[in-house]
Parts: sequence; C-alpha cells; structure tokens
Amino acid sequence: MKLFGYLAAATLVLGAGQARAADDIVIGAVYPLTGNSAPVGLDAKAAYETAVEIINSTHPEIPMLMGKGGGLDRLGGAKIRIVFADSQADPQKARAETERLITQEHAIAIIGSYTSATAATISQVTERYEVPYMSADNSSPSLNQRGLKWFFRTSPHDEMFTAAMFQFFKDEGEKTGHKVGSVALFYEDSIFGTDSSNVQRKLAGDTKVTVAADIKYRANSPSLSAEAQKLKAANADVLMPSSYTSDAILILKAMNEIGYKPKAIMAQAAGFQEQAFLTGAGALAEGGMSRSSFALDAVKSRPAIAPVNALYKARNNKDLNDNTSRDITALVVLVDAINRAGSVKPEDIRKALVATDVKGSETIMPWAGVKFDETGQNTKGTPVIQQITGGVYHTIWPFDVAVQDAVWGVGP
Amino acid sequence: MQNSISLRRRRELLVAAGLLLVFILVPLGISDVYTRNLIIITLLFAGLSQAWNILGGYCGQISLGHSLYFGVGAYVSTMMFVGPHIPPPVGMLAGGLLAAAMALLVGWPCFRLSGHYYAIATVVVQEIGYLLALNWDWIGGSSGIYIPFRGESFLNLQFRTAKLPYVYLVLTFVAVTWLVAWWIEGSRWGFAWRAVKDDVVAARSLGVRIFQSKMIATAISGFFTGIGGAIFAQYVGYIDPDSILSGQIAILIALPAVLGGVGTLWGPLIGACVLIPLRELSSSYLGSSGSGVDLMLYGVLIMAVALLRPQGLVSLFSIKRGTNGSAA
Amino acid sequence: MTLDAILQVVISGLLMGLIYALVAAGLSLIFGLMDVVNFAHGELMMVAMYAVFTLWQVSGLDPLILLPIVAALMFGIGVAIYRLLISRALEVRFNKGMVQIFATFGLAIFIRGFAQMVYGGEFRSITSSWLANRTANIYGVYLPLPQVAASLVCLAAFGILLAINRTEFGRALEATREDREAVALIGIDRDRIFALGWGLGSATVGVAGVMLAGFYYVSPNVGANFALIAYVTVALGGFGSMIGALAAGLLIGEVEAITAQLLEPSLKQVGMFAIYLAVLMFRPRGLFGKI
Repeated sequence: MKLFGYLAAATLVLGAGQARAADDIVIGAVYPLTGNSAPVGLDAKAAYETAVEIINSTHPEIPMLMGKGGGLDRLGGAKIRIVFADSQADPQKARAETERLITQEHAIAIIGSYTSATAATISQVTERYEVPYMSADNSSPSLNQRGLKWFFRTSPHDEMFTAAMFQFFKDEGEKTGHKVGSVALFYEDSIFGTDSSNVQRKLAGDTKVTVAADIKYRANSPSLSAEAQKLKAANADVLMPSSYTSDAILILKAMNEIGYKPKAIMAQAAGFQEQAFLTGAGALAEGGMSRSSFALDAVKSRPAIAPVNALYKARNNKDLNDNTSRDITALVVLVDAINRAGSVKPEDIRKALVATDVKGSETIMPWAGVKFDETGQNTKGTPVIQQITGGVYHTIWPFDVAVQDAVWGVGP
Repeated sequence: MQNSISLRRRRELLVAAGLLLVFILVPLGISDVYTRNLIIITLLFAGLSQAWNILGGYCGQISLGHSLYFGVGAYVSTMMFVGPHIPPPVGMLAGGLLAAAMALLVGWPCFRLSGHYYAIATVVVQEIGYLLALNWDWIGGSSGIYIPFRGESFLNLQFRTAKLPYVYLVLTFVAVTWLVAWWIEGSRWGFAWRAVKDDVVAARSLGVRIFQSKMIATAISGFFTGIGGAIFAQYVGYIDPDSILSGQIAILIALPAVLGGVGTLWGPLIGACVLIPLRELSSSYLGSSGSGVDLMLYGVLIMAVALLRPQGLVSLFSIKRGTNGSAA
Repeated sequence: MTLDAILQVVISGLLMGLIYALVAAGLSLIFGLMDVVNFAHGELMMVAMYAVFTLWQVSGLDPLILLPIVAALMFGIGVAIYRLLISRALEVRFNKGMVQIFATFGLAIFIRGFAQMVYGGEFRSITSSWLANRTANIYGVYLPLPQVAASLVCLAAFGILLAINRTEFGRALEATREDREAVALIGIDRDRIFALGWGLGSATVGVAGVMLAGFYYVSPNVGANFALIAYVTVALGGFGSMIGALAAGLLIGEVEAITAQLLEPSLKQVGMFAIYLAVLMFRPRGLFGKI
C-alpha cells in the first residue's frame, strides 16, 4: 500500500508544482495529448504557446490582432496563461477535464478540441457553467446547430469547406474547360468522415456530379487494398478522401500497389495537410489537392504570416498548417474579445465575442474576416483550395489569392 | 465451521454498512467538482467491476467484452430518453434487462469454449457489436447521440452543475452490486459457480449443471453492467461507439476486479479506488505534457500489482480482517 | 467483376494473410511453450518497427539488410522480458492466468508510453528502400513488391520454425511443452528453454515488424491495429499450433478481402470475426489446436 501512497503523492506534488501566478488570465485548452490523435494535439499546444508568446511578450509589432505584445492593454497589461488538459480523444475525459479547468484552474474560457466527439461534451459543460467555448478546429457542421449560447467557432465547418470544393470544380471548368463529371467518396467511419461525406454526397447531387463510389472504411485498418480496388473499379474524375494521417498514407500506397493512379484527389484536409503525410506518401501525393482554411503562401495579402510562422517554426520545427493556423487565430480572436470586454466576467466576454467584427487582413488567414452569426459560427471564414507540387502545398483557388494554376493528375 | 462462516459474513455486512456511511458523509465535505467527479467515476467502475466479478471472478469466465453489455444499457436508455422522453430510471431498467438478454445470447454459443478461446470469443463478439454500432445510422452511427439537457430534474437524472445526486446514485449502484455479490457468496449458486471455476470435471460429478450456472452468472453480470452503462450515458451526456463500446472500456471494467482481487467481495472496490484515481490524476497532471509518462506509470503499476500481489490488493487487508474493520 | 479484379482480390487477401500469419506465429510459439498469452505482442512488433526505422534513418541501409540486426535485437528483448517479468509471473501461485494476462498487459501500456516519450506521437514511414512503392504487373494483376518480399520472408520464417522443431533444441521445446516437470529429470533446463522460446517468439514478430515497416507507417499505437487480428488468428488456428497459425492467417486474409468486396468495407472485419465464431462452434480448440 505504501507504494501507491508514494505514487499518488508524487502525482499530486507534480500537479501542484505547476507554476501558478494569481493575476494571469487563464484559458483552458482541451486536446488529445496522448493516443492516436496526439500528434495533432501536441502541434496545437505549440501553436497556442506561440500565440501566447506573441500576446504577452514585448516585441516589434506583428500586423495581426493582439500582435502588439505586452499583454492585454485594457486590463492593465494582464498576461494570458493557457492550461492544457489531455482529453485522450475521450468524450468523458474531455468533459471531466473541462470541469477541472473551469473550477480548479479558474479558466474563464475554454478552447479546443480537434475531435468532434470531445467538442460535443466540452460545449455541454461550458454551456452549463456559462463560460465561452471557442472551437478552434472542430469542423463538424452539427456542433453549432444545437442552440448553444456559449459556443463560438472561428473556423469554417465541413459544409462551407465542401461548398468551396464544388465551387472550385465549377470555376475551374468554366476557366479551363476541364469538367468534373464524377467523384468517388472515401471516408473513415468516424463522426468526421460521415459528416464530411454527407455534405459531399448532397452537394454532388445539387451540382449534377455522379457519385461513382461511396466507400466508408474502418479507420486504422491493417490494409486498405480492398478499398483501393473499389476505387480503381469506379475510376472517378476526382477522389474525395476524408482521412486522418495514418489512413491517408496507407490509401495512397494501396492505390499504387494495385497500379491505380487516380485522375485527381480533393481531400477534406485532416491527414492530407499533415507533414507526416507529405513525408510518408512522398511522390505518390504529388498533385493531390486539398481544401484548407490556411494559405502559407498568401504572404502578400497577409503580412503577419511570415513573422508568426517563424515564431512557430522556432518552437515546433514545422510550418504552420491548416490546424495550427486556425488554433492561433481562434486564440487571438478570443483574447481580443476579452481585451475589448475589459473584463474577465464570462457574460462580458460573451457579449464582446458576439460583437466581434475582425477584418481578414488582421489575421493570418485568407478569410474575409471573423463575424459570428446567432449560432456562434463565423460566417466570413472563406476556405481555399491547395495543391501539392514539389512536396509543398500551393494555393490554386480562389483565383485572386492563387499562386499557381491547378494541374490535373496525381503521382510521380 | 458453519458458525464461523456466518459470523464472518455478518461482519462483512457490518464493514460494508460502515463504509457506506463513510461514502455518504465524505462527499458532503468535498465541494470541489473535480474530486466529486473522480468519486463518481471511481464508484461507477467499482460497481461495473463488481458486476464483471460475478461472472469473471465467482464463475471464472474471463470476459474481455463486457463493454458490449455496458453499451446496450447506455444505448437503450439513451434512445428511450431522446426519442419518446421515457425517464432514465425506466430506461435504465430496460437497458439492464436487454443487456442481460444480450449476455445470454452471447453466452449460449460462447460457453462451450474454454479458457483463452472463450476470452478471445468475448473480444470478438464485442468488436462485432462495436463495428455494427458504428455503421448503424438509426442509433447515431459514428456520430453518436447528444443527450439534450431538459432542465434540473431527479426524474431525468439531469443536474446543471450539481454532482452530489450522481455521487449517491452511483453509491447506490455499488451498494446493490456488492449486496448481490455478498448474497451469491453465501448461496447455493455461489458454491456451484466456484466449483465450475475450480474444476469443471469435479463440478459435473457433483451434479452441478455447468452450462446453466454460467448462463445465470452472465445474465446477472450483464444486467448490472447494462445499468452502469445507462448511468454513465446520462452522466456524460453524449454517447458514441468509441467511448462506450470499445475494447478499452471492456478492459477498464475488468481491471479493477483483477487488481483488487478476482472473485473476492472487496476486490473490485479496492481495485477501483486505487486504479481509477491514479489513472485520472496521472493523465490530468502528467498527460498534459504529452510525453507518455502517465502511460508508463500506469503500465508499471499494473505489472507491479500483478507480480507483487497476485491475489490482488485485497490480500493486503486479509491479515487484519477480524481485528480491524476498515477495508478501504 | 472481371477475372483480373477477382484475381487481384484473391492475391491481396493471400499477401495480407501471410503477414497476419507471421505476426501471429511468435504469439502461438510462446503460448504453445508455456500457456502464456502475451498481450504485449503488438507492442513488440511496434518496437521492431521503430528499431528498423531508427537504424534506417541513422545508417541509410535498406530494411532488408537491417532485418537480421533487428531480429537479433528483438531476440535479446524477448529474453530480457522473460527474465525480468515472465519468469516471475510463472512463479506466482495464485491466479496464474490472470497474473500473466495483466503482467503482459501492463507491459504493453508501458511500451506504448515509452515509445510516445522517445518518438512522440508522429506517424513515421520508411520512405526510401529497394522495394518501396514498387509493383510488378503480371498479366494485369499487380503484385506490390514489399508485400511479396514480406510473404516470402513469412514462408521462410515458418520453414525455419518448423525446421527448429526437428533439431535438438526443438525436441527440448517439445518435451518442455509436453511435460514441464519431467524435463528437469532428463537434464533440460526449463528456464533456459523458456527464455529461448521468448527470444524466438520476439524475433519472429520482430521480422514481421521489419517487413511491415517496408509498406506501413509506424506510430506508438500501431501494434493495436494488428494485435487483435493476431489473437484471433492464433485462436482460430489453435493455440500453440504453427501450421494452425499459417492456415488461419491465410483464411482470415482471404475472408477479409472477400468481405470488403461484398459488404461495406467498414464492416470487413466483421467477416473475419464471424468466421472465428463459426469455426469455433464446430472446433472449440481451433483448426489445429490440441490444448
């Protein structure tokens, strides 16, 4: 029994040992930091730490919301502190950790959470405790349609993302004459995959595009060769995958193994936007397209990208991507609202969030801006379409921010 | 002999009553929400593990697929609450009964297998259930089901931020499962099941109907596991196959009993009181670094208990039993 | 469906089945020898995948060259696990089965945490090797070379394992399996045989890990993707039977490939699980099982 006493004491001491400054403004961040989704959670952690560094420390001004540094000027230069909690991508744990952050760590707002299932329980807790929840990177369309008062989402959701894909097909067809007549849906059996495919199926119907294959697969399978064979048999004009990193690597390899080169790939971001995918799939991913809420190459219209990316890269040895850029943006929008509220009372912060009206040029995103509708959804988050050339994503749509033209064809 | 047994059993009841009083009073003194949540999860898994213990411990059938019954309870009560607004206490009972039916359905073919073949079969059945739930749109598929908040109500078992009612709900759950196990220990069934566990051939020669014994044990075990699932669903407010039906939950149901002492009355409670807080605290305070240290600690703990206390943690108290009443 | 496509399905199932068999072989070997189900089996495979990934990254050598090095390393790890953990679990007098299950289960979680600490959660892939992403096209049927190599290595490994059974060591293994107490009388060191058995079992799954790393990603949780299938394979074949593991691996590979064509691919594992239950209704000790 002694052993367990020591172990329990050790964990408590370690917990208590975390630095605690009384007058910091605490925001709780709930992410999967262990388990299958951990890589994304750990990247998000680095992104938030970068944003906090920008907000709190003194540095030359970065042309972005809260880019002045030196803390929150309307709150006497108060500093932001983020307390991270590990959800293990488990809704029950996410719920318990959110309660802990609110009641023990005195977080005045919660930010999160990557997986949709955890966002479901986190937003229920924040609703009951009346604390704002800023959804930074959950893309399930159902989340903001539950009549929640304390839910805010800066990021576009899958409906907006998918609409952009089909708009791109149409624009590209009008511009170059390359028509998309059929698509193959390929999605994992999770809330992300099914939500994404539901929207894709509907929009394909609306725009008179044939769905040549509709394949739901088991996430993290040992093999995807049977799925690849079905895709080969359908041979659609565009393959539309909704997959996380592991399966994204695997399906490209599986298609190659049976000698199938898809005519084009249009991914629902996720795994396809991860560096591990670009490295793992290598030349097989060349020419693949993906929606994104972020355009690293939009440095001309968004001058803040270069300095913010440099700070992030120094911390995490990677460039900003679709997720991490959304995380930074969500946090600065939230902190800006706290600053405008000039108060740490949740109701004041909520009002300030409702009144948010940020111009796209004040962010690092290629969006029109940030303005929440009555469901808490940002209506001005306009996505972009990107294509992998030379192992790097380049923006190809909308045409006014594109850096190059789309090329049809995938693989080496 | 008979006398000393009944004396011991009576003493166990007294200890349990004392403990119950402690568990009723202590949460009143703790106002912190996180700690109360910890108490709820710990007690819930103590009860679930006691339910598992009825089949796995007393009857010796190692099931690694109990999340299936947990899931049936959770889904049935949730579907009844979300759809036709049937209050969770009713749904809970229905969920428990259907879980028991499911346990019988699984047991019927699987009980002809023995040892590891049976254990793997339970995992396989649970995986099939999990995969079917993921693909079954009527019960939400992979998107799961949100349980709407319909206002503070004891009938709906919904409370805005209050945790105390749930503490007492799961406490009742633990007390009932403990009492059932206590009753089984002293009953004819208990003797028959232990014979099945120790030596099937000998049991048969004693006239024990083996298949029937296993079926009764699995039905009781499944029933209470289903009730636990319904409580869990209503408490968390959201269910999906990953968090309810996965193999991880099945392990988490079995583990406290194994750590505390398989086939013992106090094992599941002791095991849960050590395992669950350690798991939750280590992931809350060490997991946020993302370094994997919490997993290493958890793994070492399981290995250490398995090797150092093969009879379970309950053996730490067995010497003192009789002189000192406290068991947790 | 055209003939090409049907052949392709059959061949994909065959290639995957041989890999399942190879992953399961080590598990079956250890179980046959001492009745211990190693719940850290998938994690041992993961360790081998990380080992070959790291050696490849450092040395730039092809995974096929690194194969013997990793196998030797895994042999050592297997022996160490036996000496430090399993031998103690075998000495326990109460709840033997339970102790063994949870000692190896604890080990599995520990190894996962360790991998997370050393490598982070990132997915990693061996991106350049002789065979990486190469395929052969034979009359319209495609053969992915990394999988073909893995299958050949699998067959070779089974050949070696069966050949070992005929050596003196193999006879000692067999004798230890048959009667654990009596072997001491004829001068066989039981403890040493068990340690070598664990070494051999780990080396086998190590070989599987190396071959798999040629076309599969590596992450701390990668073992879980294969572990359940490995347990089902071993039980379907019959615990302790090498031939059983091979036959069951092939059966599961084919059933999976065919189910994926007939049902929604997300349900493809239901097919292999159903086969397990169906076969065990008629043969409660698996296809070739004695114990």
